[in-house]
Amino acid sequence: MGRMLKSPWPETFVMVLVTVLTYTAMTTISFVSEAPEGGMATGAVVGWLFAFFVLSLVIALLGVLGGIGGGVMFTPVMLAFTPVDSLIIRGTGLIVAMFSGLISTGPFMRSGLANMRICVFLCCAFAIGAFSGANGAILVAQHMGEAGEGFVRIVLGVILFTLALYFIFGGKKIEWPQVDKSDKLTETLQLRQPFYEPSLNKVVDYGLKRSPWAFLCIIGVGLLSGFFGLGAGWAIVPAQNLVMGVPLKVAAANSGVLLGMGDCIAVWPYIMMGAIIPIFAAPWLVGQVMGGLLGAIVLIRVKAGFVRYLLIGFMIFSCWGLVTRGLTGLDYIQPVPNWMTGVVFVVIFTWVIFNVVKVLKSTD
Amino acid sequence: MSSDRPIMPKGQIVYGEAVYYLTVVACLICIVGPLIALINPDDNVMNPYFTFAAIFQGHSAEEVWMIVAGGFPGGHFWMDNFFTGDGFTQFGLALGCSSAGFALIIAAIVYAMEKIYLYAGFCIFVAVFIFIAASGIVSF
Repeated sequence: MGRMLKSPWPETFVMVLVTVLTYTAMTTISFVSEAPEGGMATGAVVGWLFAFFVLSLVIALLGVLGGIGGGVMFTPVMLAFTPVDSLIIRGTGLIVAMFSGLISTGPFMRSGLANMRICVFLCCAFAIGAFSGANGAILVAQHMGEAGEGFVRIVLGVILFTLALYFIFGGKKIEWPQVDKSDKLTETLQLRQPFYEPSLNKVVDYGLKRSPWAFLCIIGVGLLSGFFGLGAGWAIVPAQNLVMGVPLKVAAANSGVLLGMGDCIAVWPYIMMGAIIPIFAAPWLVGQVMGGLLGAIVLIRVKAGFVRYLLIGFMIFSCWGLVTRGLTGLDYIQPVPNWMTGVVFVVIFTWVIFNVVKVLKSTD
Repeated sequence: MSSDRPIMPKGQIVYGEAVYYLTVVACLICIVGPLIALINPDDNVMNPYFTFAAIFQGHSAEEVWMIVAGGFPGGHFWMDNFFTGDGFTQFGLALGCSSAGFALIIAAIVYAMEKIYLYAGFCIFVAVFIFIAASGIVSF
């Protein structure tokens, strides 16, 4: 009982209770209230709000299971398969990317897994990149019109394909990098911070190196995140792990904290120009916060490597949608017929099912 | 490696707690906000019955605001419309999206009290960046 009174249980209980009461009230309103002439039916409005909330919750839970951030799923899928304006999607994508990071900040900081010094130092770099990237996105949207939309979709499709390949082949990561010699600036910054590692039942004190290079890398990562409305954990983790020598687990925790902190800058240009529409963005925010919390409580010990293949499948399929829509927008090709998209879907998800079965068999 | 558990720096703990609880509050506001908008759609910045249709028709953000609200009233429209559904929701979004800024100010004070001035400076730098972005005074 005492455990239930400690964080995160009371706040999780309050949020679940308020959500249930709110959606019950909304459903009741949809039965008694009539929509104005020409407007969407109340039931449809409530349905969309609920669907966005559930989708966001599922994305957050899948993100925890598959170790892939929510922004990298939300933005490409919405850009590839919905008619919603790209700036609205990218602004809302940042909300999706940042709020799971913000809610995980508390537990990571408490446990000491995240290192505040590394986060705030690298966030100085992320801030510069993300703010420039977000303003760049608005400039492109305002001055390049349809061509800009097409350009953004194609470039994002190419990035996503590269990313999917990176996720398939794993990339080079080192769980406990060996740092024999540090540099003067890294030593001066005093970034090291020992932490207790439960799996080893030991305190780990890790060395660090090349912090100026990591700083430069993170400026580039911030640019990508701000411009495309993506979370960029996939780039922040290797930048810390391979360049600075941060242990993999610490780098992953830092990545969530850094995204939450840094995207607080990237998101504002979108808010200030109206690309974040409150009633559209709110359910996505709520889903990420509650999904992040529930995922951390319930699913953190569940190992589900097969979910990774499912997410990679969605990424490759989104890539198809992004590139074809981009090329159509630029008038290079005719709109792609639905049957062709269906064939691509079947091919990709046959590969996904094949790999999921393989993973499940190997874990038996 | 040793087995004595290290004590986490106060600045780190304070930052984590502040961000966490501000995010929870922002989330609660964003749960309730759309309900207020549905209860009183006429006394709202954007009529929710027309907002989704405008978004799904592929209109740009500027056009959506023009169609549904007669124009974008500015990023901080929640100040003048706090008790409307959209105003309250926008306040929740603004609170969540500046939570790191407030938490960094508190962390900077803690670092300064512990005489770790370098990190107090880094915290202030990022916080100022967040508040400049939130003010909208710098844009390209």
